Amino acid sequence: MTEQLPGTHVPPVEHEPVGGPDAITGWRRMHPVTPALKGWRILAVVVGVVVIQSENLRDAIDLRHGKTWLALIGAIVVVAIVGFAYSSLAWRVTRFAVTDEAVHLRTGLLFRQQRQARLDRLQAVDVVQPLLARLVGLSELKIETAGGDGSGVSLAFLREADAEVLRSELLALAAGLRRPTGAPAAPLSGQGAVADVDPGSSTLPDALPAHAPFDAAPEREVYELPMPRLVVATLRSGAVPVLVLVAAGLVTAAALSGDIGVIFVMLPAVFGGAAFVWNRVNQGANFRAAISPDGIRLRHGLTENRAQTVPPGRVQAIRLSQTPLWRGKDWWRVEINVAGYGQGNEAQRDTVLHPVATRGEAMTALWLVLPDLGVEDPVALVDAALDSSGNDAGFTGAPRSARWVDPVGWRRHGFRVTDRALVTRSGRFWRQIDVVPHERTQSLAIEQGALQRRLGLASFVLHSTPGPVAPRVRHLAAEVAAELLDEQSARARTARATATPEQWMRAVGVPTPADRSGSAPPAGPVEPGPPGPSA
Amino acid sequence: MTSDALPAIREPFDPSDVTWTPVSRKLVGARLTVAAFFVVPLLLLAVAGAIAGGDAWLWSLPALVVLLGLWIVWLVPRQVGAMAYAERADDLLVRHGIMVRSLVVVPYGRMQYVDVNAGPLARKFGIATVQLHTAAPATSAAIDGLPPHEAARLRDRMASRGEARLAGL
Repeated sequence: MTEQLPGTHVPPVEHEPVGGPDAITGWRRMHPVTPALKGWRILAVVVGVVVIQSENLRDAIDLRHGKTWLALIGAIVVVAIVGFAYSSLAWRVTRFAVTDEAVHLRTGLLFRQQRQARLDRLQAVDVVQPLLARLVGLSELKIETAGGDGSGVSLAFLREADAEVLRSELLALAAGLRRPTGAPAAPLSGQGAVADVDPGSSTLPDALPAHAPFDAAPEREVYELPMPRLVVATLRSGAVPVLVLVAAGLVTAAALSGDIGVIFVMLPAVFGGAAFVWNRVNQGANFRAAISPDGIRLRHGLTENRAQTVPPGRVQAIRLSQTPLWRGKDWWRVEINVAGYGQGNEAQRDTVLHPVATRGEAMTALWLVLPDLGVEDPVALVDAALDSSGNDAGFTGAPRSARWVDPVGWRRHGFRVTDRALVTRSGRFWRQIDVVPHERTQSLAIEQGALQRRLGLASFVLHSTPGPVAPRVRHLAAEVAAELLDEQSARARTARATATPEQWMRAVGVPTPADRSGSAPPAGPVEPGPPGPSA
Repeated sequence: MTSDALPAIREPFDPSDVTWTPVSRKLVGARLTVAAFFVVPLLLLAVAGAIAGGDAWLWSLPALVVLLGLWIVWLVPRQVGAMAYAERADDLLVRHGIMVRSLVVVPYGRMQYVDVNAGPLARKFGIATVQLHTAAPATSAAIDGLPPHEAARLRDRMASRGEARLAGL
């Protein structure tokens, strides 16, 4: 939709709930440069497959240079043309629309697909900029819903500024705010309406649309990760230190014996370690977190910029974990479960709330998710959870008999229930605490193995949505576990009954269309710091 | 039926305020049939091998298979006996396992969808499986061996209760 469409011939009821696909107006296209960016992907995949598949290709090329090269280049050109042609056609049929209720996306050249994501079910909104897209000033907007892998809606690619505007709009609508009566969906500059493309529209100035119905919510930055800390911490995490030691040992051995062959044995492991370090550093670089009425804002990435927004109440569980070599520095990795992010490699990137937090930052991260931990002194509680063992500090630990099943870590297994959340604690060298708000409990279980039964122990399990956090308190006394199961299901029930509604602004009585005139809505009730930069 | 009908399983897997409904004993037949599909051919193979081989020690193989079969015949009824479920006002309890026991509590308000499955063999025995799904994939609340009418009743009941206590994620 462009500036020409609304106003005169669009009745104000346009944005009321819509009946079917035909009732949706305001279909828009992605940015015209999209096929150029997506076409490369096809080319890269084909070339990649060919290179991997054909060891002999190189031999063939070596044998006779001239013609093979020509043929190869010709093939690449053909693939490129096919790729770009396909992308252009796909772009032509791809269009999206935003109504008050949902985001609609129509895709598919041969197999048509129309997807509708309800905004009140939105779990997170990400603005992603791969390297190539960043160079030309485009972004991808991803709307995550809780339907599992591939359930979200991806709008790729939009102009950077448009993506930001659209994000604010989606979040405001998802929060339960309403557009000023009669105002159009946020018009995107430089993109033609589908039905009646005005040639002038694609030459409009690049500026933000002046009458965007929703302002970006103000945000306040809460922490930032310095690059040196990220690099050092990554080198100290996982198997990297071991790898470095082994590599050093082998190099020494090779130097002493004069046999270089030993080093090559290590190559795959070294590559694996390097890839791990690179991924962690690449994803965690420039990590910044901010709070806004829209929720938690996370920005990170070296080659690929990601700006994630997780609205209030969408974080299902949170985990603080520490590897042995982080203990001295008191660093913690903070991860969260968000229903839209799912599992797998991608989730590892999306579900990090802080890659390397100091204790203070870890507290802040926890506060972002759970402003009220349900105790008088949350700092003391977290300190205790991170450091304590046994029955200290209000925690209920595993009984002494647990040492037979877990001789090393049995003192650390434990939990504490607050008014708002369940805090579980585990791990002696790989320390870990999980916090789950009562209202986010999905289901509960207790488990007991044969040995545990002998010792009168049982493990308590809390099921959360897919993600890195899987809370479990091992080896509790059986009666304690059973009691916790009972109490926890009761607590979860009462907490659910009073939980914030999905449309989070509704909870604080922000004006809805009935009592508001046409002005843009205020940012919201959460104490907004100075409006931060939005990019 | 109440917990009297079940083998004595003590706390913590037997909360006092709960009336357990055991699953149908027909499940024993169904599971033993499945086991027989594997054990009987194995036994025949072992016997054939022993006859063909001729050595006396080869008969230890069929003997082992027979022992395995006997163990299964002993184990399955106990396993089925340990499986039970209970409907409370706000949640459903599912219990199973003898060696490794587990008890799962699924709040109705968290239920995303309910599956009722019945394979050909299960239909022959007149039983069905009800599986509850929440937003957490780890929720392993499947009730095997329900009579079809009970499965349908449970499904409808879950659906209506889930609606009444509907919550987001």
